[in-house]
Amino acid sequence: MSAPRRYGRWLALIRAGFLGVVFVFVVFPLVWLALASLKTRAAALEVPPALVFTPSFEAYEKIFASGLVGAFANSLTIALTNVALSLAIGLPAAYALARMRGAVQQNLSFWVLSIRLAPLFSIILPLYVLFKALGLLDTRIAVAMAHLTLTLPLAVWLLMTYFRAMPVDLDEAAMLDGAKRWQTLLLVIVPISRPMIASVAVIVFIFSWNEFLLAFFLTARDAQTVPVVVAGLAGTMSFDWPLIAAISIGSMVPALIFVGFAQRHIVEGLASGAVK
Amino acid sequence: MALSWRFWFLAPMVMALATVVLFPTVYLFWMSTQHWLVTDPQRFFVGTDNFQRLLAGADFWQALRVTAAYLVLSTVIMLGLGLGMALTFARAGRGWMRAIVVMPLVIPPVVAGFTWRFLLNGEIGFLGAWLLPAIGLELNPLAEPRAALVSVVIADVWSRTPFMFLILLAALQSIPRDFYEAARMDGANPFHEFFFITLPLLKGALFVAILFRIVDAINTFELIYVMTRGGPGRATQILSIFGWRTAFQELDFGQAAALGVVLLFICLAGAMLLFRRFVQRDLEAGA
Repeated sequence: MSAPRRYGRWLALIRAGFLGVVFVFVVFPLVWLALASLKTRAAALEVPPALVFTPSFEAYEKIFASGLVGAFANSLTIALTNVALSLAIGLPAAYALARMRGAVQQNLSFWVLSIRLAPLFSIILPLYVLFKALGLLDTRIAVAMAHLTLTLPLAVWLLMTYFRAMPVDLDEAAMLDGAKRWQTLLLVIVPISRPMIASVAVIVFIFSWNEFLLAFFLTARDAQTVPVVVAGLAGTMSFDWPLIAAISIGSMVPALIFVGFAQRHIVEGLASGAVK
Repeated sequence: MALSWRFWFLAPMVMALATVVLFPTVYLFWMSTQHWLVTDPQRFFVGTDNFQRLLAGADFWQALRVTAAYLVLSTVIMLGLGLGMALTFARAGRGWMRAIVVMPLVIPPVVAGFTWRFLLNGEIGFLGAWLLPAIGLELNPLAEPRAALVSVVIADVWSRTPFMFLILLAALQSIPRDFYEAARMDGANPFHEFFFITLPLLKGALFVAILFRIVDAINTFELIYVMTRGGPGRATQILSIFGWRTAFQELDFGQAAALGVVLLFICLAGAMLLFRRFVQRDLEAGA
């Protein structure tokens, strides 16, 4: 019985070493970014970089001074609008799909899933032309609507998978007591599903908050979201590394708050129910 | 009660998706048949001319090659790393460790791209200007074509491997323990266990993970836009960046729409494969 034990010790060693490397790979860039956000512009350009330095909040002050807070307001408004719309539209649809059988249900769910897998680039030009014709380019409305292409299918798919795993007895009991379908959904299903609905809300929020491509094509100045601003600043010739780093750190805040809370469901969300 | 409740429950979703997805898709096909230059007020039907010009241009094939190289390289590294992480965490997973490793997944890709650009920058970057030269590697990672492609792949690996890790971890944890115990009774060592139990049972999850990676790679845009804008030259210009150039720099909406149609078909094929293989089976089992 010595052979497995020998393998065991080696494997444990390899595991620990591998884990160490992974941790450094994942964490170091973030630490470096955080440090950069606390440097002055000149300090960020030093080679070799100073590991010990007096932190400066210059970059964070600059965010407020230069009106970049507006981008955070845009991102927040757009993301919250998406949470509200995706749940309001997605909940009944997901419930109906979960309780249906047959061709209509299959085709509709395939359509919803295939949107998740479609290339965003394909719908951008038409959306651009459409919003331009409506005079909605560079408005929060346009970006929020465009984000629905991502967030609505996601919400529907997640909630549908969840509702389908719920026993039908609950619905039947409610309907025997004379409840209509919408009453069953609102008064029976939704209250029980609160944790899942909260997770979906978080996932939708993060997707909308992080999205770049649509926001980038559809905005010019007024409605720019945080990722678009980061990309814009990273494209200017006079690099202000600490400022971009500070905005980047700011842009992570909501995601990092939520990730501990809804980690497991975020996983399923990203895989659109392909993970069971 | 003329219409069933199902209609009213589904109608808002269908209408919303028809507006932001179905209509744009149909419109895309129409656009791809038009002579449509932003600088030229005249628009007219040109049939398949946009497609012909697209396929005749060297830029398209160059972008396709870069996309393929990018896809293969990133998939191989992510699979290896993701599988290694999943195997490690399946045995000794602590919640907080997993939360840290998964973090990059919820960080905006723009930020991931910027962070790596900052690290790899040849003049001031920790890696590009200090660590790499210190170990004798004199190269500016983002300015040299091959190194630039590897650089954007590394940034993408950093950003997206957690996703692959989580898919594989979920699959690993669903393999019954008994299988391993039975194998050990028969004298299997950890390597036998991996190749004869783990890997065959992971096949489905690997398939899903790779398919999502393909779609993800085709959708990759901001990471490369922030890091290199497709450069140096066209060394990191994948199809989506090429599309952005065509539409917003050359202002040729017709040809960009044709590219959109091509991408749509590539992804649709993937979606159907995924649906046929997994979802339908799942729906039938659930019904």
